[in-house]
Amino acid sequence: MKRTVALLSLLTMFTAAGVTAGCGADADPAADTVSLLVAGTPDELAAYRSLAAEYEKATPGATVDLIEASSAKDLMTRVSTSVAGNAAPDLFLINYRNYGQFAVKGALAPLTARLAASGSLHEQDFYPQAMGAFRWGGEQMCLPQNISSLAVYYNRSLFKKYEVAEPVAGWHWNDLVATAQALTRDAGGRTVKAGDPETAGVPAAVHGLGITPELIRLAPLIWSNGGDIVDDPAAPTRLTLDTPEARQVIQDFLELPKIGVVPSDVEVETQDHEARFAAGKLAMFVSSRRVTTAFRAITGFDWDVAPLPQYRSPANILHSDAYCMTKASSRQDAAWRFLEYALSDPGAALMARTGRTVPSRISVATSPAFLSPGTPPARSQIFLDTIPALRPVPTISTWPEIEDATGKVLENAFFHGDPLDKVIADLDAATRPVFQRGTAAR
Amino acid sequence: MDWHAFTARRRGIVRDASHRRRTYGALAVTALFTAPLVLLVTGSLREPGLPPVVAPPLLPDDPGIAAYQQAITHGDLVRAAVNSMVVAAVGVPLSLLVASLAGFALTQLPRRVTSTVIALSVLAMMVPATALLLPRFVLFRTLHLTDTLVPLVAPALIATSPLYPLIYFLAFRAIPADSYDLCRLADLTPMQTWRRMALPQVQPVTAGLAALTFVLTWSNLLDPMVYLYDRAAFTLPLALRALAAMDPHNQPVFLAGAVLTTLPTLLVLGVAQRRFLHSYGPEGAS
Repeated sequence: MKRTVALLSLLTMFTAAGVTAGCGADADPAADTVSLLVAGTPDELAAYRSLAAEYEKATPGATVDLIEASSAKDLMTRVSTSVAGNAAPDLFLINYRNYGQFAVKGALAPLTARLAASGSLHEQDFYPQAMGAFRWGGEQMCLPQNISSLAVYYNRSLFKKYEVAEPVAGWHWNDLVATAQALTRDAGGRTVKAGDPETAGVPAAVHGLGITPELIRLAPLIWSNGGDIVDDPAAPTRLTLDTPEARQVIQDFLELPKIGVVPSDVEVETQDHEARFAAGKLAMFVSSRRVTTAFRAITGFDWDVAPLPQYRSPANILHSDAYCMTKASSRQDAAWRFLEYALSDPGAALMARTGRTVPSRISVATSPAFLSPGTPPARSQIFLDTIPALRPVPTISTWPEIEDATGKVLENAFFHGDPLDKVIADLDAATRPVFQRGTAAR
Repeated sequence: MDWHAFTARRRGIVRDASHRRRTYGALAVTALFTAPLVLLVTGSLREPGLPPVVAPPLLPDDPGIAAYQQAITHGDLVRAAVNSMVVAAVGVPLSLLVASLAGFALTQLPRRVTSTVIALSVLAMMVPATALLLPRFVLFRTLHLTDTLVPLVAPALIATSPLYPLIYFLAFRAIPADSYDLCRLADLTPMQTWRRMALPQVQPVTAGLAALTFVLTWSNLLDPMVYLYDRAAFTLPLALRALAAMDPHNQPVFLAGAVLTTLPTLLVLGVAQRRFLHSYGPEGAS
């Protein structure tokens, strides 16, 4: 027994002494060491490792402790705990829809003064739409790494096979629906129409469209139709989805399952849109630049991207992640030096080559590093063409909760056909208290 | 055939029928729970890079182990497995030691104290794990133990779950009082009584709790996510999480990682189950 206890004690001490490698946030704050928390797929994380290695090579004596998370959700768990526990990394990468909760707590170090004094980074180097999304209380809180938007990924081979016209700039929502109907086919290649007695009960082997029922998918369509999603974008207090413009868009959106062009909830559960598109079973898929890397692995068919359809005028939603510096960081100078490198032409080009992001740095976005001629999608330029029409969702500290609350209501309405008035009332009821708890960037 | 021979034979037939029913029942349940594992294995044998499928075919066209090779490389599974094994090798025995000692101590305490401790344990079970996350993070951070495996092993110092000492308490209480009296007559100390008399009699409980603790420790995702920063310290659930983020064409790589991660759990459950069944089975009832 004594021997067992002794062995256990020894093992515990062995573990405590550091079976594992170094101590990340616990390390001595060496002047040129910086910790960076990022999330991504293995390919993206490999790109961040390369970025860190290149920085270390270019800056003798500097080291980067890379903290890797596998998803944005994991990253949020890590950031929330470490910020609350006063052990935050020096830098982390976060979407503009999520950073408000840290800005409102004063956890972020403003970068306005550093940017103004920088010899290598200038405000005009970046797209203003992305820079604006990370301003809080008049300060530039974070520096954007990318600027993405929604696009329609489409299976060009299917369009050719069924002789359907490919999407063009300026196409209307109704064109999208008609195209989706033309491409929803059974295993024999015949069109499947909901309500058509001849095809009743015939399962679709290919669905025309994949789109998730989320507020961030509806928002650009509502803006395009002349409406808005909130009462005051600078200081929102409620959703405004009861306007005629918004009602029309939501009505059209909720019609999609009824006309049978989108996979059912069960089908989405068994295979999500991304995998379904990659398997050649989805003709069109509305998503951001995020899926490009995965789709580049497709070998069985030809694919490309098209602009998001519109109602009255072009509109799209901003998707952007930025490097934020924590106020608690004791190595802010080192963190800034890393930022200057990461957002420089060589640093930004390194990340652009993953294909997953649209660089926020204008010179890199317009370079072959992003446009990558010869690599799908052939029409990457559309991500740049849509930038003038980009709008952000309101920057409010409780925005992630608003997305969660609306997501549940919209998913239910989309797949189970709730009446429009009830959907709008439920969305309002679910979000009003969350808006009241939130603090806006203004 | 005399009456005794007839009844003996009849008892044998009834026992055989009962045994057959148990076997068929066990086979049916096993088949039900094996199906997902079979799909996991067949899916992992598909070549990475092929178009994703809803469910992998039972017999892949061209089975191979490329997905396993990629899972080990991309997920850094060997290093993660070593880290997970260190945590389990230290955490599981330590947890059982603490749980059994605490459970035994409860049997030796006055009834009022025991009731109070049990009530507190039940109360502790009702506290959500996430509510303790931040205080524990601050504690380990203050002790400079974040980014080591210590925070993953530390729950073993409180028996991993308040439930486990209670289970041991019930098991020790079920031992006849005469056995405890005999130990007292033999002048055994409480520790000697625990080790030489009580613990050997609750081996099935130990086997069951060892399996449960192993599964909990092996599959722990939240703690490593919060306490570990360095990739070199990642345990298997974190490594598997990274593989899950791969694109749909690499689904077999993720499934291969899942197979490799599941195997030790199956092994431990199999060993624990044999131990459990042998102790409680009709032939080997203890």
